[in-house]
Amino acid sequence: MRTHARKGSAAVLALSILLAGVVPAWAETTLEKVARTGSFVIGTRTGSPPFGFIDKNNQWGGFSVDLAKLVHAGIEKKLGKPVKFELKESTPTTRIPLLTSGAVDLIAGTMTITRARRESLDFSVVFFVTGAQFLVKKGSPIRGLRDIGGKRVGAQQGSTNEKVIREKHPQAQLVVFPDQPAAFTALAQGKIDAYTNDGVQLAGLKAKAPNPAEWDVVGEFYTYEPYGMAMRKNDSDFRNLVDFALMEAIEGGEYQKLYDKWFGPRGEVPYPLSESALIFLQMQVIPR
Amino acid sequence: MTLLLALQYQFEWSVLWTAPYGRWLLQGIVTTLEISALAWLLAAALGGLFGAFRTMSGLGPRGLAAAYVEFFRNVPLLVWMFFWYFGVPQVLPATAQDWLNRHGGEFVAAVVALGVYHGARLAEVVRAGIQSVPPTQLEAALSTGLTVGQAYRRVLVPIAVRLIVPPLTNESLNLLKNSSLALTISVTEVTFMTRQIEAYTAKGFEAITAGTLIYLGLCLVVAAVMSRVERRLAIPGLVVRTEGAEH
Repeated sequence: MRTHARKGSAAVLALSILLAGVVPAWAETTLEKVARTGSFVIGTRTGSPPFGFIDKNNQWGGFSVDLAKLVHAGIEKKLGKPVKFELKESTPTTRIPLLTSGAVDLIAGTMTITRARRESLDFSVVFFVTGAQFLVKKGSPIRGLRDIGGKRVGAQQGSTNEKVIREKHPQAQLVVFPDQPAAFTALAQGKIDAYTNDGVQLAGLKAKAPNPAEWDVVGEFYTYEPYGMAMRKNDSDFRNLVDFALMEAIEGGEYQKLYDKWFGPRGEVPYPLSESALIFLQMQVIPR
Repeated sequence: MTLLLALQYQFEWSVLWTAPYGRWLLQGIVTTLEISALAWLLAAALGGLFGAFRTMSGLGPRGLAAAYVEFFRNVPLLVWMFFWYFGVPQVLPATAQDWLNRHGGEFVAAVVALGVYHGARLAEVVRAGIQSVPPTQLEAALSTGLTVGQAYRRVLVPIAVRLIVPPLTNESLNLLKNSSLALTISVTEVTFMTRQIEAYTAKGFEAITAGTLIYLGLCLVVAAVMSRVERRLAIPGLVVRTEGAEH
């Protein structure tokens, strides 16, 4: 009995320390963790073609995953030994806790870099640039932001465009879905009038739909969505490794090769790289 | 614990009450209570009806009730959520679909999914209650000239209801907690709101803790109310009862 009581009070003590936020100031770096566990775990998407998705042959990959593989190669080089490359599913709601809890080491999906997110995470350089638009059925009266008043607009929980619609465009009736496939089904069934997300993701949804000709991506970009890879805060050695891997890919042409593989005319989601986006990416590459 | 300690996580509990997050949580609580209350009424009606059917001698009602119970309790609730939201409206006429879409179809789907699922589980509770009433009660009721229906309504069910309060409490608490699955069909209940707060503030532990305490609090209130109901309804001398046994 007595030991039980003591164990109980120890647990209460530990819990109150935890709740009070008195946390010891030690933590291993990401590289130390990868070296210890022998595996590098990334969080990515399963339903966001072509960044991270499961294809018809049940293969999980994509543009972001391929870029993360370059980071993986950089880690192996740095550590001087092979480490496993693992994928875990992450969604807009789970990706931050997955990262902060140490369940994954890098988020490589479709995460927009924002100032609010930089308060709790660190980001790599930008690896893709897009902006929010709307996906509608062909012939829909919705042609852009000015037509959404009173309409049911679907968005993905935790996404930046959901936040923009909620805060800046309350005239629309916002319907929030936990994932993209559910939102797309709702759109196909007429439960929502439009689905909003980053233009390139809508292009991906359209390309993967049973009948792509039924769908239209409409409207100007009403947000700016620079995608970056996210990692735990205050780990600048690891952040350098990630950034340098991306810079070398842009500099050496590997990035363009991967871009063409996924977004080229014969790629998963044809989406030409605009000249301004290319210049922007190249200018991020700082001198050696 | 070690995992949490390994993080250099800065707790910031104020996200739970600063605008607009505090209001979101309150709205979430209201929605959770609305879904749960409506679903509970549906579940109680279905459970009472089919639970009684299952104890009847007629093959028709008994078969129907058995089919209902086995069909609805043996499929995961998550599947039922999708079924009532994405599946059923497809077979409705276009005008009904349109009306549902304009008037919170996801809320209706969640109520029906929860109510029908828990109705199947409650039917078994009700059946157990009725079957635990000694057969002499039915015989005595019939011998006073009551019909079978009257005997059920006036004697068997009132006794059974008193016997099943503890498992009924259990089911009610499960229903309340299971309402969190409605977030998958975009109902903005408490769990949805905690995830929303987490997505906006990246303060996951605080949001999840708030959600946990809210469910705990709501469940404790329900349990306390049901415990009072049990004491109020008790028929003196019906069952062996020791002091405080209702807890």
